Amino acid sequence: MDINSIIPLLLALAWLLPLGSFALIFLFGPRMGRAGRYSAYLATGAIVVSCVLSFAALGFWLTEHYPHAAAGHGGHVAQPISGEWYTLAEFGRLRLTIGYYIDSLTLAMFCMVTLVASCIHVYSFGYMHEELSDVTDPLAPLSNGQPLRRRGRYCRFFQYFSLFCFSMLGLVVAGNLAMVFVFWELVGICSYLLIGFYRERRSASNAGNKAFIVNRVGDFGMIVGLMAIWTGLGTFSFAEIFSQVRPIAAGHQLQTPEGLSYGLLVLAGLGIFCGCVGKSAQFPLHVWLPDAMEGPTPVSALIHAATMVAAGVYLVGRFFPVFTPEVLLVIAVVGCITLFLAATIAITATDIKRVLAYSTVSQLGFMMLALGLGGWLAGMLHLFTHACFKSLLFLCSGSVIHACGTNEMPEMGGLRRKMPITSITMLIGCLAIAGAGIPTLIGMSGFGLSGFHSKDYIMAQGLLFSTANPGFGPIFFYAALIGAGMTSFYMFRLWYMTFAGRPRDEHVHSHAHESPLSMTGPLMVLAVLAVVAAWNLPFTELGLKPLLEQARPVGTVEGVAGGMLLPNVAMPAEHLAHEYANSVKAEWSAFAVALLGFLLATAFYGLRKLDPADARRTFSPLYKLFVHKWWFDELYALLLIRPVLRISNWVEAIDKRVIDWLADNSARAVAAVARLDDWIDRIFVDNTVNLLARWTYSTGLWLRRLQTGNVRQYVMWLGAGLVGLFVLMNLYWNYATAGG
Amino acid sequence: MSFFNFHDPEVLRTWLLSLIIFLPALGAGVLCVLPIRSDQFFKRFSLAITVLVFLLTVWLAIPAGDSSAVGHFTLGEPGMQNVVDHEWIPSFNIRYFLGLDGISLPLVILTSFLSVLAMWASWSIDKSVRAYCALFLLLETGMLGVFMALDFFLFYVFWEVMLLPMYFLIGVWGGPRREYAAIKFFLFTLAGSVLILIAILVLYFTSNPHTFNMLTLAEIGQMPDSPFHQTLLWGKSVSWWAFVLLFIGFAVKLPAVPIHTWLPDAHVEAPTPVSMILAGVLLKMGGYGIIRICYPICPDAGYELAWVVCGLGTVSMVYGALAAMAQKDFKRLVAYSSVSHMGYVLLGIGAWSATAEFQYNTDYWTMGMSGAMFQMIAHGISSAGMFFLVGVVYERVHHRNLDQYGGLFARMPVFSGISMVIFFAALGLPGLCGFWGELFVILGAWSYSKVLAVVAASVVILTAGYILWTIQRVYLGPEYKGPHGDALTPMTRREKYIAAPLVALAILLGVYPKALFDYVTPTVQKTVVEMKDWSEQPKADSQSVGWVERSEPHHRKNPPKKMVGLAPLDPPYFSEQPSVDLQETEQP
Repeated sequence: MDINSIIPLLLALAWLLPLGSFALIFLFGPRMGRAGRYSAYLATGAIVVSCVLSFAALGFWLTEHYPHAAAGHGGHVAQPISGEWYTLAEFGRLRLTIGYYIDSLTLAMFCMVTLVASCIHVYSFGYMHEELSDVTDPLAPLSNGQPLRRRGRYCRFFQYFSLFCFSMLGLVVAGNLAMVFVFWELVGICSYLLIGFYRERRSASNAGNKAFIVNRVGDFGMIVGLMAIWTGLGTFSFAEIFSQVRPIAAGHQLQTPEGLSYGLLVLAGLGIFCGCVGKSAQFPLHVWLPDAMEGPTPVSALIHAATMVAAGVYLVGRFFPVFTPEVLLVIAVVGCITLFLAATIAITATDIKRVLAYSTVSQLGFMMLALGLGGWLAGMLHLFTHACFKSLLFLCSGSVIHACGTNEMPEMGGLRRKMPITSITMLIGCLAIAGAGIPTLIGMSGFGLSGFHSKDYIMAQGLLFSTANPGFGPIFFYAALIGAGMTSFYMFRLWYMTFAGRPRDEHVHSHAHESPLSMTGPLMVLAVLAVVAAWNLPFTELGLKPLLEQARPVGTVEGVAGGMLLPNVAMPAEHLAHEYANSVKAEWSAFAVALLGFLLATAFYGLRKLDPADARRTFSPLYKLFVHKWWFDELYALLLIRPVLRISNWVEAIDKRVIDWLADNSARAVAAVARLDDWIDRIFVDNTVNLLARWTYSTGLWLRRLQTGNVRQYVMWLGAGLVGLFVLMNLYWNYATAGG
Repeated sequence: MSFFNFHDPEVLRTWLLSLIIFLPALGAGVLCVLPIRSDQFFKRFSLAITVLVFLLTVWLAIPAGDSSAVGHFTLGEPGMQNVVDHEWIPSFNIRYFLGLDGISLPLVILTSFLSVLAMWASWSIDKSVRAYCALFLLLETGMLGVFMALDFFLFYVFWEVMLLPMYFLIGVWGGPRREYAAIKFFLFTLAGSVLILIAILVLYFTSNPHTFNMLTLAEIGQMPDSPFHQTLLWGKSVSWWAFVLLFIGFAVKLPAVPIHTWLPDAHVEAPTPVSMILAGVLLKMGGYGIIRICYPICPDAGYELAWVVCGLGTVSMVYGALAAMAQKDFKRLVAYSSVSHMGYVLLGIGAWSATAEFQYNTDYWTMGMSGAMFQMIAHGISSAGMFFLVGVVYERVHHRNLDQYGGLFARMPVFSGISMVIFFAALGLPGLCGFWGELFVILGAWSYSKVLAVVAASVVILTAGYILWTIQRVYLGPEYKGPHGDALTPMTRREKYIAAPLVALAILLGVYPKALFDYVTPTVQKTVVEMKDWSEQPKADSQSVGWVERSEPHHRKNPPKKMVGLAPLDPPYFSEQPSVDLQETEQP
């Protein structure tokens, strides 16, 4: 069978099944069983079948492209499968299509998204259970102070979930940038709808708006990038862009293509990255993600941890061949700032989901950093491992919240006996994210949970970069190291505060209970994944790393020695990072800081040898900075939101006071002129005419008196007239003839 | 020639097009004399007429394929189709000249389609129903005529025919400030149409032999030695003046900032169905006029003033969006969103990128202008939908104060779901109709001016802001905060049937935009190529100042570069840019 036709078909099916499920639930959801309970089976069935199809497609892929040990770094180039499904619009030579671009990265993403989504769908059976009946929502008080009672919305939740899965898979399979943008927006709207799932709550609808609008800021940048590429290259298709930017003739090295100057190429890269900054909640657009935790926890796990927020990283990875060294450096800087900033906030947060949210932001920063330093595989690998352990952590936190009814960690504590499965799976998640493992010892290569491998790659790349750029390179490496230490600290802080010690709130503790199997089952599956995700299948070369290595963009195997604007930056080749000396050093330093973080967390929260309150007092200014999230929300409100609202009020005032004033007053002026005209008519024209008429009339009246009917009088006048005439003639005749 | 020889396709065509235009007017006449006094009958009768007209226009849109049926549309044929040309007033060379092409046909169908929905939405009108229906039908005749007329005089007659019924529909059936709004609407539009009339007369008397034929005028206007190049006033050519006058006239209708303030008032006061027509169809006449008349007839002025057109478009987009954000009145907000959305139309039409600098590549301008056409249709769907939805809730609670809504989702779930789709379409969400127009306009604008394109792109943020904020204030939240809460009953069946086609079309055009582009693009491309050919002409004639100025417009700095110069240069990664090399090698 030809994989070039079967794989697109399988993926198309896997992609469209959730759409079908969405349409059915949208139309008939509430009628599917009592309170729409069967909608959950429909949505889950769709995504599970998608998962099976994705793995089948992966299987077909492996029949042609089985990874070989000899392949090494980029030796075996697997040609991507690209093509079109249908045309959206066509203008002369410009064509916009719905198409696909499938390589092993696409397939791995399909498998990961559908697998994680399947787990979270099943988990939602239990978590969203209360939506099956009427719900009392104390967080949305009515004006009379009573809590709101509303109908359950079980089926709507699964409806949005299906729409999200469809959009996410569309984003992954997309064969061109415009299609990416389409699904980019669609996952955004799903995120908006699901964050605002409890739409009666003010905080939830605010968070939804914030998420969408902040993402739109990123999308604005992305549109600029799209414009530059579309106008310069005349295509959005990945395959064509890559072949124009990295022509075979030039050995797949980055070129300034005809029609695009170097500056525009940089701008295009920055624009696309700007979209990724929004979607992946990078500094300075990271502010929406923590607020997005207003949504139900499965949403946080699926959308705001495992898949959608990783889409930004995915796009950076996908579009990697087009980024110039300048853009890569910007990506690295942004990632570096983000991972540090978010980690500091996570240390002080007390809401269990917010800790995880900031942790997500921080981990996404790690991925961006790795990609920016040239570590394509490192960034991509971390995307996958992170998806596994972060969705696990979120689901565990959901299980805890479900049991306790609160998000606040200071009200928890001592839950490990009540919730053994949750506590153990969460511990596995913590170990994975902290990068627990055994670093390379004499002869034995390092080995650990999934996070160990991916984080190790990132550290190695960072170290390599700092060796290659001794001037500023070490900043990235040490920031990443500190970030890794903080990761370990806040994750174990979270675990200790939640599960260890004695209960802080008896009421909460007494009501807590282990979650049902529908929730713990997915936890266990994901815990296994969190451990093994980065491993190869035993005794084979088959695993995530070799698979992703196949998708490495051609031409990026070798390092790059700086761009046109920044000639002094060297982007070292990634395979050099795995050389023994470099990787051992990186592994051990990462291991050391993680251990340090763990020990500190144990000292503060596990053994309680140290009091966090003391630390808070000692570092009071820093603590204030962190706990207020570096005042980003306040800053944006002051600098952006309020000015825009003020300007919009001005605009409204201009309309009313200036334009309408002009229009109304010119109308009034015309009316005034008309009145003046009317007045002139009446006073002058009419009066003159009337005066004349009056004169005529009065003269007539006066003359009337002559008409007495008395013949003798008439004769007298006749005579007098005749005499008068003669007198006049005598007087003037002479003059007249004399004058003539 | 007999007008009843139905075997003659010419005769059939005349009947078909005339029937489409005048059937509503005929219906209005019948309504006036019928000895029946049932309001319900009047509404049903008018609805039947509009449905009939709609079916006839759908007949026009069916792709011809191999069939020889009269009236079908030949896809891919850029020129006029279904041309009807008869003498009307021979002494002035005025003709009864109608025709359809890819630009007018979609607008004709939009008109007849929205007329059906708006008529059906008129069920709630209960004041002098007979007069209302008659005026409504007369209005439809005017609108259809404007889009189908190819004779300037005929065009102007229809333009005025549409104006008066609108005035009365707002002024009699409107809200509390209806008289102010109606007179404002009337005066603004009338001022614009006077300018149009002047331009028509100037063109008529300049052309030789005198003609009102738009197609002939366009041919004359695009000739190298066009009589329109002679100086008219203040050193500017006939063409320049005609363009400016026509453009102002159409920009009032569009409306473009700063001559837009009639729109919010007219919308706020107009009854719901009239608002639907006003936003859905009347605004499109501005864009239609610019595409059909301004550019083909006065290309040199269009070239010279492209930055004005694009600048006004961009300003309207930003200004309208900002103003929308400040509104407290639901209907005013939707009205300002119209101003913002119609700004895209101006930008898409005006972005003249087929210049020497760009190797006379017409594809991007074609895309931008097609995007503008798409935006007009999409806005017709989404804005008519939004006004209808506002009307639905206004009929129930009798207020439009945005701060006094909330919680509608719980009270009216179907209504809220439909609203979400329509509002997201207006927000420009992919998969719904509003997206493609905006995207193609912005993408097309980049090759004309990067600054304008970036400013235009930033509007997506503002749009998201005001739409989401509106959704939050109206539909979300725990409870309804305003008066008459008991009246918030779910949508009636009639209301659902009116909204459903709008939702369906919004999704269809969003998922398969090619359905519309197949009609639009060939004609737009023809227009753009004509403009390009015109701008490639050798500029021999330089007698008038207006003509001389054009030879060095602001953005055409370089002499034309031929494609030969762009040989496959593959500069190495670190080398100079190719454009630098080119300029050095090309200019000896």
